[in-house]
Amino acid sequence: MAHPSQLGFQDAASPVMEELLHFHDHTLMIVFLISTLVLYIIVAMVSTKLTNKYVLDSQEIEIVWTVLPAVILILIALPSLRILYLMDEINDPHLTIKAMGHQWYWSYEYTDYEDLGFDSYMIPTQDLAPGQFRLLEADHRMVVPMESPIRVLVSAEDVLHSWAVPALGIKMDAVPGRLNQTAFITSRPGVYYGQCSEICGANHSFMPIVVEAVPLEHFENWSSLMLEES
Amino acid sequence: MSAGTLAKPAMRGLLGKRLRFHLAVAFTLSLAAAAGFKFSVTEPRKQAYAEFYKNYDAMKEFEAMREAGVFQSVRPKGQ
Repeated sequence: MAHPSQLGFQDAASPVMEELLHFHDHTLMIVFLISTLVLYIIVAMVSTKLTNKYVLDSQEIEIVWTVLPAVILILIALPSLRILYLMDEINDPHLTIKAMGHQWYWSYEYTDYEDLGFDSYMIPTQDLAPGQFRLLEADHRMVVPMESPIRVLVSAEDVLHSWAVPALGIKMDAVPGRLNQTAFITSRPGVYYGQCSEICGANHSFMPIVVEAVPLEHFENWSSLMLEES
Repeated sequence: MSAGTLAKPAMRGLLGKRLRFHLAVAFTLSLAAAAGFKFSVTEPRKQAYAEFYKNYDAMKEFEAMREAGVFQSVRPKGQ
C-alpha cells in the first residue's frame, strides 16, 4: 500500500506491474536525458552576449533534431507495445470475478461454481481497529487464490466508477451497461489496496477496493464459509 | 611586424565556437545523467526484485502474515 512521503510506485505484486515499473524507469531515464540537455542548452544560450544575426538555415541540424527525437520515440514505443501485448495475452484464468460499482460501494460476484456475492463497504474511520488504514479498509475483501490467473469483469450499476489496485497494476473503468475485462496474477500472498478512480458523487473517495491473496486451500475455505453465511 | 605587438585576436565565429563546445558538453552531461539514473535506480531495482523472488517462499510468508493477523479470510492458528 502507499506510505507517507512516497514518491514512486507501490511495490509490484504482479508480473505486469513489475514490467510497468521497469518501463517507467526506462522512460524516466530518457526524460532526465532530454531535460538535462535542454536545461544546459538554455543556460548556455542566455548566459552570453555573443550573437549571430545571419544564420538562415542548416540542413545538418534540422536532420539531427528530427532523427534523434524519432529514434528516442521508437526506444520508448517498443517496450511500451511489448507490455501492451503482454497484458492482452490469453491467460486461461482459474477464476472469474465480477466487480460491480455502486454509489458508493463495490460488490463482488463469484459465480463460476456457486452463487457467491457480497457487498464491500468502506469501514468508517470511527469503526477502525488499531492498525487498520483510514479510508482504505473494507468490511468484506475480495479474496483470491495467490499465484493464480484471475479474470475480473468490471461494470457499474449506476454511474461511472473505476476499479483500481496500483500494486497489481490494474485500473479498469466501470461503465454502466458495459462489461470490461482485466486479468491479473498475484506474485505473492498479501493484502492490496485501491480506491475508486472515476468521480462518482459525494462518496467517491470512500469506496475502497481490498484484494486479499491467500493460498488456494484457504480461498476455498473462505468461499465455503461465505456461502454458508449468505 | 615589429617585435612586441600582440597577435590579432579571433574576431569571428565566437558564437559558433561557444555553441560547438557547449553542445558537446550538453550531450555528454545528459548521457551521464541518463547513465547515472540507470545504474543508481534502474539496475538496482531490477536486482532487488530478482533477489526478492530468487528464494521467496510464499507459504512461509503467508504463515507469517497470517500469524500477524493481516488477513480477514484466514485467522491466526490459535483463533
